[in-house]
Amino acid sequence: MTDWVLIVDDEAMIRENLKAYLEDEGWRVAAFESVAPALGWLRNGDPCRVCIMDMRLPDMDGNSAIRTLRQIYPDLEFLIHTGSSGYSLPEDLRAMGLDDSRVYHKPLADMAPLAAAARRLAMREDSP
Amino acid sequence: MSAPSSSSTPPIPAVPRRRGWSRSFYWGLALAVVIGAATVTVLDPLPYYETLLDHWFDPARWEPEVFTAMLHYILWLLVWLGVVAVAALLWSWLLRRQVTQRTRQLLRELHERQQVEVALRESEARFRDVTEAASDWIWEMNERLRFTHLSERFYALTGIAPHHVLGRARWEIGAADSAADLERWRQHRELLEQHLPFRDFVYQTRLSGNHNAGRYLKVSGKPIYDVQGRFLGYRGTGTDITEQIRAETALRESELRLRRIIDLVPHMIFAKDRNGRFLLANSATAKAIGVTVDDLVQHPHPIVHSVAEETERMLADDREVIDSGIPKLIAEETFTDHAGQTRTLQTIKIPFIEPGLNETAVLGVAIDITEQRRAKEEVARMRLYLKNIIDSMPSVLIGVDPWGYITVLNQPAEQAGGMSWEAAQGRFFGDVFPQLEGQFEQVRQAIRLGRPIKTPRMTLDIQGELHYADVMVYPLMADSASGAVIRMDDITARVRIESMMVQTEKMLSVGGLAAGMAHEINNPLGAILQGSQNILRRVAPDMPQNRAVADAIGIDLDQLHRYLEQRQVLRFLEGIREAGARAAKIVADMLSFSRRSESRFALVNLEEMLETVLRLAASDYDLKKKYDFKRIAIERDYDPALRFVSCDKTEIEQVILNLLKNAAQAMAEEGTPAPVITLRTRREPEHALIEVVDNGPGMDDKTLKRVFEPFFTTKDVGAGTGLGLSVSYFIVTEQHNGRLSVLSKPGQGARFSIRLPLSREAPP
Repeated sequence: MTDWVLIVDDEAMIRENLKAYLEDEGWRVAAFESVAPALGWLRNGDPCRVCIMDMRLPDMDGNSAIRTLRQIYPDLEFLIHTGSSGYSLPEDLRAMGLDDSRVYHKPLADMAPLAAAARRLAMREDSP
Repeated sequence: MSAPSSSSTPPIPAVPRRRGWSRSFYWGLALAVVIGAATVTVLDPLPYYETLLDHWFDPARWEPEVFTAMLHYILWLLVWLGVVAVAALLWSWLLRRQVTQRTRQLLRELHERQQVEVALRESEARFRDVTEAASDWIWEMNERLRFTHLSERFYALTGIAPHHVLGRARWEIGAADSAADLERWRQHRELLEQHLPFRDFVYQTRLSGNHNAGRYLKVSGKPIYDVQGRFLGYRGTGTDITEQIRAETALRESELRLRRIIDLVPHMIFAKDRNGRFLLANSATAKAIGVTVDDLVQHPHPIVHSVAEETERMLADDREVIDSGIPKLIAEETFTDHAGQTRTLQTIKIPFIEPGLNETAVLGVAIDITEQRRAKEEVARMRLYLKNIIDSMPSVLIGVDPWGYITVLNQPAEQAGGMSWEAAQGRFFGDVFPQLEGQFEQVRQAIRLGRPIKTPRMTLDIQGELHYADVMVYPLMADSASGAVIRMDDITARVRIESMMVQTEKMLSVGGLAAGMAHEINNPLGAILQGSQNILRRVAPDMPQNRAVADAIGIDLDQLHRYLEQRQVLRFLEGIREAGARAAKIVADMLSFSRRSESRFALVNLEEMLETVLRLAASDYDLKKKYDFKRIAIERDYDPALRFVSCDKTEIEQVILNLLKNAAQAMAEEGTPAPVITLRTRREPEHALIEVVDNGPGMDDKTLKRVFEPFFTTKDVGAGTGLGLSVSYFIVTEQHNGRLSVLSKPGQGARFSIRLPLSREAPP
């Protein structure tokens, strides 16, 4: 199991809090405010299997970012952490195997479920 | 009839010649013979006789004794003559006596005969009088059947001249227009030729005098024979019955006309006597009973009409009319006709004296009003039907005439006016409905302009409560009755819903705003909540990472924790976290109002969904503090016919959860001793019904009216946002095209009913 989690969120405090919580849970966390640096890190950095993606990002929207990243890293799994309540998964993302259980609405009063989901995804990635 | 002249002495009739002699004559003759014989014997004349003869015829023998003999002979002759004289005298006396007697007898006979003749004449005259009185004339025919005699009266009556009749046969003066006439004449002629008597032969004369038409004559006759039994002809009487025939014809025609008239009348006309026997009936009556007129007349009612109960009733009516002598109108009575169909009759029965019977009978005219009655019933049924229709309208409907007087009220109007239709009829509508008094101008205008006049959203003060009503005044354009109908709809509830919807709309825009701002709001909220969580976690003494860092910088984590506790830092942090959570919830609720571009409708197993919601409710985080859901008995009343419902599962879950929570809270607050929540599903024709019923404190009317209003809450400030039910209402009505309603009374629990369309149209 790789213990890297990638976080893309433009809200610094969200990013920092998630990072802090997951680090406390034993993860190594890479957090970026936009897609471009995240791509750069992925290109150079350690292998990462789980990405927590915000939807409203400065350089592109989360859905497109997922499509782009999935294309380059087919093994990367996504959890969506969005502040827009009306968010629903586009069909093509569903076709990639994402479902409503991957969507987490802000604000998260408790980050434990999100961390657990990330762990499940990392474990699953190992099992096949 | 004897004439006075007959009493005078009639002239003495000639004595009839007699044949033979009377008895006394023979007696006298016999006596004379006896005396003569005796004398002869005594005198013995014979010797004288011989002497005489000798003397005379023998002159020689003339002797004196001859003279003596002659004397003797003369004496003998004289004796004879004396005897004859005495006999003659005696005979004459006898004869005279006989003649006297005979004359007397004859006179007596004569007188008697005269009297007989007078009587005969009188009788004859009487007979003639009688005959002539019984008939108009007497006629006679000879053996060739030709008229030989006719009384004067015949000519006077018929106007026919004698020379047209005398010497002719009857058939020569009679008319024969038809075959039947010819046959009659033939029979009559045959009869006459056979010399048979006949009576009352009626014929019409061909000849006429001053009259245009022939006269009708009725004749009777008998053949006459002489002593030898030879046929001499006919004798008879005749009567002119023209007038009688005409009268009879006229009567017959009149009767026929009457018959035709009553037969033409479609109503039943009949007359019955006291015993119920039909004296008269027209064909309509006969037809209704199913017999012919002839069969009906003279038959008693019960024989021809078999429905005993009806017959009895009708006969009782007949008798009543006959006994009272007063006409009776039977407005409606049933009558079963021959086909077994029950008809309704309107009958008038009138008493009358039947001519010839001299007894009161009853004349009846019955009109079949079955159709009218049916029509009347139909009208009544229709009237009731229309009344039911207008009564079932929720609107207050007031019918008024052009002057504003009430003609019709429907039931809601009766309730609103507190007065029944009957009582309100004819009263000015403004008196019964003071709040509508101002509408009189609209009534007049509507009638004048011929179009409805609307007064929308009129405010009314009903028992101190503000009500809204739409008032429409429709002109009535029926050809006979003009007027108007005032329709008032209490739209208070609608106005309230509308205002609620306005608020909901506001919320929607707020929701829209919130949706736009959600990201911006949720991010800081996320920072607050996540930050609080991280802080709490990172000051916790039991976390190895914390301990490692604390050791590295040389502080005692346990002391720090005690410090934070004592300074209530941890409580403040918890407060921050709770406040953040509440803010997050408000935002989430408000976001619910935003119309989602994409609702995820799917067929959902209703029972499974309800069970899920029940589990959610039982483990609800917020509510655990206030009540123990496990204390509440849950009753499940699921309709096996209703399994799948098309809906957005999470939304409906939210709605049901909300209802469950409200029910649980209300019951917990009120301390309901044995709290029960019933979950009920029913398949309705168009809807799936989901009910959440509790036995809690219920709601009063005022609460009930506002229960779906946004931000309306009965909970303590801070305990609820007042958005739960309005969001539920929004989800059910707007997003699912369904209905959400509530039934409740204080102390009787509450029943919330969700109705979701079974065959869902495209969701909005």
